[in-house]
Amino acid sequence: MTTSFLPRLLALASPALPVGAFSYSQGLEWAVEEGIVVDEVTALGWIGSLLEFNLGRFEAPLLARLMGAWAGRDSAALAEANDTYLASRESAELRAETVQMGYSMVRLLGDLPDCPQEVRAALARLSEPSFPAAWSAAAAAWGIPAEEAVTAYLWAWAENQTMAALKAVPLGQSAGQRMLYVLGERVPPIARRALALEPRAWSNLAPGFAIASCRHETQYSRLFRS
Amino acid sequence: MMRLTEAVAQAGWRARLDLRFARRGQATILAARRHVGPLALQKPLYPEGEGVCHAIVLHPPAGIAGGDELALNVELEPGARALLTTPGAGKWYRSDGREAGSRLSFVVGEGAVLEWLPQESIIFDGALARMGTEVVLAPGAVFVGWDILCLGRTAAGERFGRGRLRLDTRIVRDGRPLWRERGLLEGGSPWLQAPAGFGGCPVSGTMLVAGPAPSPELLAACRVVESSSDARWGVTGLPRLLVARWLGHSGEAARDYFVRLWQRLRPALLGRAAQPPRIWAT
Repeated sequence: MTTSFLPRLLALASPALPVGAFSYSQGLEWAVEEGIVVDEVTALGWIGSLLEFNLGRFEAPLLARLMGAWAGRDSAALAEANDTYLASRESAELRAETVQMGYSMVRLLGDLPDCPQEVRAALARLSEPSFPAAWSAAAAAWGIPAEEAVTAYLWAWAENQTMAALKAVPLGQSAGQRMLYVLGERVPPIARRALALEPRAWSNLAPGFAIASCRHETQYSRLFRS
Repeated sequence: MMRLTEAVAQAGWRARLDLRFARRGQATILAARRHVGPLALQKPLYPEGEGVCHAIVLHPPAGIAGGDELALNVELEPGARALLTTPGAGKWYRSDGREAGSRLSFVVGEGAVLEWLPQESIIFDGALARMGTEVVLAPGAVFVGWDILCLGRTAAGERFGRGRLRLDTRIVRDGRPLWRERGLLEGGSPWLQAPAGFGGCPVSGTMLVAGPAPSPELLAACRVVESSSDARWGVTGLPRLLVARWLGHSGEAARDYFVRLWQRLRPALLGRAAQPPRIWAT
């Protein structure tokens, strides 16, 4: 197995990726304010259930579809998946988040030496590139296999959510590492399942999450942008 | 020899209702109706004058059983205004192993307004249900719709412990998706208890208002609408779409919340006050 893509994959999954992910909690901050998430166990419950029943069943298979669209140079499938993702965002904040992160990712790709011209052109044709569309462009351009890409994407999301919980609850660093240990075990099987998930099994139905994100928009005191 | 009722029971009902509303001067008329099987329309009513046609969609068997397939196709010609509702809760019975399905298709022409305000859907424990909704909007078209799901016969304390519910809702405007939600919910799933999922609440509702971009004032007016203390709710404004969510324990409380939002939204969107259809009170 060649792992020459590994440094690129680690860079894409790194909190140092300059797209501003650290500034978003995706409603977790409201769940803390509301007393739903109060400690390590409830934080892990919130994040773990979203990983399993929301990200793993909608965003992850959609990311796999985007990887396929980039690999097959299928611009119609790319636009369709990007539009579907934007239409699936449950709130103004969640939509603004992915549009901002997508925009930052596209700009970053423009500054990097090895992003193929055709990838830049395909991204430029999307009126609003979502974060998964722009992120998958980089992953595909750098030859990262779909399963590794989806695994890294979910891990980066879980890590970012855990860091948000550490700040918002707040929790200690050891609690964060224990949570990441558990989440890290769950990510690979969820990613594998997502690659093969048939469309009729996709699900982004998450009423508690959607309400948390709606209510965060008018939360009085907040650290995060979502 | 198999009796007719047994044959029907085995095949499941195939029911379909096609409706077309058209604008004639200041009035909206029911221009065409066609039905196959037990899905029908009560006589059109005009409780607020000729401008808006109110219609009640009936499903006389009262419940949907495994193998049934229901389709409601509604088309509004440019400028038409129609309000559709149902006379009672839709019941999805425990399945014998076959899935039951409903498909709603709403095509709303230029400048037309469709209000789809059904009563709640009750998903019995053990039901296998599939609900698809597609709304296609022309420029200037407005769609107001809600969907209230009761998981289990909550009044009798029943929970959705077995069975499966599939949902697929989409709104398309100018050929591009404006809203997309898919759901696959297994009876007894931990997601029913997870706070990010259903949080132990058997009733979930979504209201979608696709029209002009909601103004900050209208959004603020909707956000101050409150509901019962054991419920959670939220409102957000997406591009040309207002979304409200409700999660709690009573279908009636969910409808009450959405009706109060509708009463704030309707004057702004349609220039008309919202009067709850009389059929809801019976």
